[in-house]
Order: sequence, then C-alpha cells, then structure tokens
Amino acid sequence: MSARLERAAFHAVGTSCAAAVTAGPHDARRARAALAAAQAEVALCEGALSRFDPASDLSRLNAAGGEWTAVDRRLVEALRLAGRAREDTGGRFDPTVLPALVAAGYDRSFEQLAERPARRASGWRAGAPIELDEPAGRARIEPGTAVDLGGIGKGYAASRALGAMREAWPMLTGGLVDLGGDLALWGETPEGGPWRIAVADPRRPGTNAGVLLIRSGGVATSGRNVRRFGPGGSLHHLIDPATGEPAQPGPLTVTVVAPDAATAEAHATALAISPPAAAAEHVAAHAAISALYIPHEGDPMQLGALPLAWTRIVVRAAA
Amino acid sequence: MQRIWTVVLAVWAMLAIVAVLAWSHRPAASPLPAAAAQTLVVKGANGKQQLVVVQPGAVGAPHATTSASGVVR
Repeated sequence: MSARLERAAFHAVGTSCAAAVTAGPHDARRARAALAAAQAEVALCEGALSRFDPASDLSRLNAAGGEWTAVDRRLVEALRLAGRAREDTGGRFDPTVLPALVAAGYDRSFEQLAERPARRASGWRAGAPIELDEPAGRARIEPGTAVDLGGIGKGYAASRALGAMREAWPMLTGGLVDLGGDLALWGETPEGGPWRIAVADPRRPGTNAGVLLIRSGGVATSGRNVRRFGPGGSLHHLIDPATGEPAQPGPLTVTVVAPDAATAEAHATALAISPPAAAAEHVAAHAAISALYIPHEGDPMQLGALPLAWTRIVVRAAA
Repeated sequence: MQRIWTVVLAVWAMLAIVAVLAWSHRPAASPLPAAAAQTLVVKGANGKQQLVVVQPGAVGAPHATTSASGVVR
C-alpha cells in the first residue's frame, strides 16, 4: 500500500483552511497528531494576530495608546516580518494601514460588513514605526496608529502550522497548510514529485488558470475579485499606502511564489496594488519571488522564474 | 596459388573479426525520450481553441488551490 495524503479541513482566520501530510499505511495516528498540531497552531496565531478579536494580542497593542505592551511571541515575530516586508516592498505593503482600511469601511469581519460609503482616514500617514523588544516579548506603536496583519498573517500562520506539524511528527516527509488559499509547502508528496498547486482563474470562477509545481516554500494570492464591500460592492480591501484609499491600479489577482508563505503573502499584497510595469520591476528586483499577474483585461504576465506547469491562458513573460 | 588463398582467408578472417566487433559494440537501445512538455489543444468555454502547455509532473489532481481571500480575523 503506497503513501497517501491525509487531510484535515477546518474553519479559521475567517476562511476555509486545510492541512495535509504525506502518510504511509501505518501512519494514521501520527498523521492525525500532526494535523491537530497544525490546527492548534493556527488557532494560537489567530488569537495573537486577529484585529477582529478584542482580546487578541494585536487588539491589545492597538488599544494601548502608545504604551509598551507584552504580547505573544507570535505577534512579535509577525511584526518583525511585517516591518521587514514593508522595507522590501518599498512601503507598498504596510501593516499600519489599518486606520485607512477602517475608514474605507472594512471595520469588522467581512461577513458583518455594512453597505456604506468609504471615507478617507483623517491624519493618517503611511510608514508609522513599530517598536519591538523581542527579548522581553513587548511591542509599542505610536498613539493613533493601528496595525493590521491581514497582508501577512495568514502566510505567517501557515508557516507556523507547517512547523508545528513537523515538530509533532519528526519523521514527517511532507505536508502543506492551506489558509484560505495562502499555502505553506514542504517535503515529499505521496507520489514523490513536487506539490501541484492550482491557481484559481479569477476570470472564470470555478476553473483553474494553471498549475504550479513546487517542492517547498510558500504561495499566496491577493486580489480584488473577492471580499468586495461598500455600496454595490464597489470597494475592496486593498489599501494603497501612498493614498490611504482602496487602490485603483493593479491586477484582478496576483499569485506569488516565495521561499515562505509570509513572504509570498506580503509581496502578493504589494503587487496587488501595482500596475503591470511596477509589478514586473518589483519581481525583477527580488530574485527569490516569482508571480502570475492576471489583469482585469489583456494577457496575464508571468513574472520571474514561475514554476508554472501548465496554463490554460496566454501568459506573456515580462521583459 | 597458395598465396592467393592465404590472402583471401586473411581478408575473410579480418571481415569476420570486424563483424564480431561491430556486433558486440553495437549501440545500446536508446532510452525512452525524457518527459517533455506537451501542447494540447482544448476548446474554451467560448468555443475558441486554446493551447495548453503541459510540463512533466503536472499530471494528476492538484494538491491544493491558491486563490484570493480576505484578511486575518
């Protein structure tokens, strides 16, 4: 009897999630333990990083009025990664974009959003500092500032959950964690080859635009084809830090492949508010990432060394 | 006359040796061609034909799908 993929589906971080491990015929108990560890780690990450849970560490930090706040080490680490991603993306990913996001109307979990017009956050500015005291497990942000980890949190949690599976089952040979389409992948598939990751086609819902072949790393997709809100669904959750308003230019969706899921998600967030030329320039400047950029109209672009196995659409490689 | 026969036998012997060597050193059967990308023609929903380039290893159902979703909550 050959290896198979043991899978567990669950709901977390406001979306559908799954974890899966490559397991042999006698590994059922170890596989269940690993999958449970992944789910538990995602719950811990959500408890630390969610801005919709008033008791979360992030909510406490946002409400601390500029005071140093003791927070879970996951939040400290996620804030450090977010700060680095802000530098790497030239500010196109900015975790301090929350006041603008709330002003735009995205002030509660997506399922509870009301139909109301967007506003612009008064006095908000991009790039607010985030101070970390990692040895003491503390963080501080300026009064009036607020942090949202929506552009990196799922990827971070997916990577953590994958690590938790490997810790729970040291002999694990391969696994993946999927948090609403943001993926962390590692090791062998049951078939022995790379992981086959379908890219959903935003232009033809229910179909795939292509398949990526990935041995290890992270994949994330960001876009404005879902999670629209406001009058007539006219708004989306992608705020341009340069303007503080929902971004105007940018693709319908962009999928990024990176060495880890948090990096993939942060760069996908940045590319999702980038016009094609800027996106191509961005990927060219970051050798570790590649992307599939699907605009509203016209040819999709393959940016960087994308491990695209097949595509149903015409893909134009960026110059 | 004997000299002629000697030459003929020598030639035949040399040809036999060459034949044996050629047979024993014949090239091995060429391996199966390495898996290569294939281009398939499929009919799209709008009736137009599309080209689908399939790389080796892409066969089989995907293990997961990436798509846009929302923010951490």
